[in-house]
Amino acid sequence: MDFQVVVLAGGNSKNLTPLVSKELPKPLLPVANCPVLYYVLHQLEQSNLKDLIVVVEGEDAALLVGAWISGTFIDRLHVEIAAVPEDIGTAGALRAISHHLTAKDILVVSGDLVSDVPPGALAATHRRHDAAVTTMLCSIPVSGPSESGSSGGKDKAKKLGRYNIIGLDPSKQFLLHIATEIEKDARISKRILHAVGQMEMRSDLMDAHMYAFKRSVLQEVLDVKDTFQSLKEDVLPYLVRSQLKSEALLNRTPQGEENGNEKVSSQNNQAFISRILANASTPSFHGIYSKNPDGSSSTRKTHKCCVYIASSSSYCVRLNSIQAFMDINRDVTGDADHLLSPNNIIGPSPKLGTKTTVGPNCRLGEGSEMGDKCQVKRSIIGRHCRIGSHVKVVNSVVMNHVTIGDGCIIQGSVICSNVQLQERVELKDCQVGAGFVVTAGSEYKAESLAKKEK
Amino acid sequence: MQYDDKSRVEKAKKRAVVKQTEARNRVELFRHLPQYEHGTQLPDLETKFFELDPMHPAVYKVGLQYLSGDIRGGNARCIAMFQAFKEAIKDYSTPPEKTLIRDLTARISSYVSFLIECRPLSISMGNAIKFLKNRIAKLPLALSESEAKSTLMLDIDRFINEKIILSEKVIVKHAVTKIRDGDVLLTYGASSVVEMILLHAHELGKHFHVVVVDSRPKLEGQLLLRRLVRKGLSCTYTHVNAVSCIMQDVTRVFLGASSVLSNGTVYSRVGTACVAMVAHAFHVPVLVCCEAYKFHERVQLDSICFNELGNPDAISKVQGRKEINYLDGLVNQENLQLLNLIYDATPSDYVSMIITDYGMIPPTSVPVIVREYRRDHLWS
Repeated sequence: MDFQVVVLAGGNSKNLTPLVSKELPKPLLPVANCPVLYYVLHQLEQSNLKDLIVVVEGEDAALLVGAWISGTFIDRLHVEIAAVPEDIGTAGALRAISHHLTAKDILVVSGDLVSDVPPGALAATHRRHDAAVTTMLCSIPVSGPSESGSSGGKDKAKKLGRYNIIGLDPSKQFLLHIATEIEKDARISKRILHAVGQMEMRSDLMDAHMYAFKRSVLQEVLDVKDTFQSLKEDVLPYLVRSQLKSEALLNRTPQGEENGNEKVSSQNNQAFISRILANASTPSFHGIYSKNPDGSSSTRKTHKCCVYIASSSSYCVRLNSIQAFMDINRDVTGDADHLLSPNNIIGPSPKLGTKTTVGPNCRLGEGSEMGDKCQVKRSIIGRHCRIGSHVKVVNSVVMNHVTIGDGCIIQGSVICSNVQLQERVELKDCQVGAGFVVTAGSEYKAESLAKKEK
Repeated sequence: MQYDDKSRVEKAKKRAVVKQTEARNRVELFRHLPQYEHGTQLPDLETKFFELDPMHPAVYKVGLQYLSGDIRGGNARCIAMFQAFKEAIKDYSTPPEKTLIRDLTARISSYVSFLIECRPLSISMGNAIKFLKNRIAKLPLALSESEAKSTLMLDIDRFINEKIILSEKVIVKHAVTKIRDGDVLLTYGASSVVEMILLHAHELGKHFHVVVVDSRPKLEGQLLLRRLVRKGLSCTYTHVNAVSCIMQDVTRVFLGASSVLSNGTVYSRVGTACVAMVAHAFHVPVLVCCEAYKFHERVQLDSICFNELGNPDAISKVQGRKEINYLDGLVNQENLQLLNLIYDATPSDYVSMIITDYGMIPPTSVPVIVREYRRDHLWS
């Protein structure tokens, strides 16, 4: 169908330390015991998109990701890994692989998006309107019980003040204004408002970071505006702002067919045909704007920015904070469990001791052993864990190869791989980085424990 | 296909690309026509975007545009379909062990059935597809693949140029001779030919007044009105319920057609028959402007045996006025059935003259044109 897919898998992420480390780049962060990148690739595979480019920041991370992908998806997908230098942003990443892009339209998906919206819907909307860019919007996910404590407190203050403002036209097909993380004022283009007449401002939708771009438009924007770092914050608002005055930037006349016909009569015929087709459909406000008042086509060129609004019953969350990580883990085992592949329920050989209860929405990886009188509720436990007796794990994520001593209480926390918790440790709303050893009898509340990098 | 034949409907559903759910509450008289639940088709087709391998993206795009109502009007639909087919033929390559003629014909047939599922074909499109298949079948076997493809594309271009564009110019030339200074011309809906006639007559400097009659739910006349007013014509706009009032001042009626059948019946947008009948009662001449490629050898006596059913919700809702929702709760009741017909048939008694690219003919001469010229020009 002439679409090329680029998955932006990122690498390290400052929001997710200490979960993310050199050995565990962000795309491989496990959600319900399965790396988050799996969900994106699985969705694309189900939509029959088998040729992908995955962009990873950092050479080591690229190697790790590449190894995992070829292990899991042999023969099912054909993936090309591109490593880009760190911290160049999403736009920079696309700029780096720009020479690989050949198809007419590019579908850009963020590697940390967990959703069940089919990418085909976005692509179909893009083609139907012949748009320059199409964005997917979804409702802002309701986050779970937010963490209390120092980091949570700061986030709460931020959450109250910041909004995503999205302006749509009355038919909800075109994007008129987009601004993320606004604190006080929002500036709206008068020209667009004047052309369209009515604009609907929504703050309950957010940009899901799945875009469909026309390749020529994308490459031109990236070439001309080389200070743009991020797709979401720079490129997309730029395209939306300039949708009615794109002559400076984009050459929109379809020059291919017209150049072939030298004769005046055939050019007249082309004009005739395009007039019939244009008269047949209700013109969008772009068409009305680009015509002079007497009806002739003026030289004002416009491009269309369309949206696809995911239905409220679909699940769409981005993994870009620790709170989101906890929420996604909880949802994927709970409401949205259709996202999981079937071979991911309680592994074949967890050994449970006597009087140990495992709640309904839990996942236990293979090779895990639990002692007696343990309680596991709404949690996910990775592979090869050794959990002692009288341990209570509630609302938490425990990754692989973790040793938990007897009598521990773990609530609302994330424990990374190879961590050792000695006896009677109490953790509440903490994040423990990989390889850490928590000494016996310690109590931590809302802290982030990590091994110091040597 | 008759849709009240259950076994055939089941077979067609199995082969279908677009999954459609049948509407529940259907008028008994129109059960032989397809009626699907609107609103579920478009999202369903969109989710399958990447899974339809044999479908060419251009054909898919045109199908989506039909389904969502982005393209309306017989000429525009035909042109859009042909442009998509041109792209498809350009990208086509014969698979090994197959002949171009048979394989391409099969491919085009699959595209056509997809388009039918999106929206039933208009008669002009049916004729155009017959022409294309005929040209494919007549390709000499000695041609190489690229030569065959370029021949086909040239044929398609020739068809569009001769049958649509040139014939519109000829019709306009004939029709403006019928417009005199001081005329009040009435038109119904938005026909591309009638619009061109009015604009051309205005350019020639004739002074006349236009009455645009429109009807719900499509309100197509508004687009025509906008374009006419922009060019400086003096217009009146009214709805079809007032046509008998306004007909007293009208001197001529120009109507477009989706097709003209062999007994002189004009098959056109619903409401045309009403306008023609009122004009006849007031002794106002009715001129129907229709390109010759839209003629068909079928005979139809009423609007029931062949028609298209549109979205029933469109009748119960008024666009832009959400507070008019009196029928909201009643849609699924047993004793309420919503019927939204798209086309109707105007008997030939109400039509004074048909203006085609073969000249100005009375309605009784349509079978002559179908018989004589069809064999020569269309399928040569």
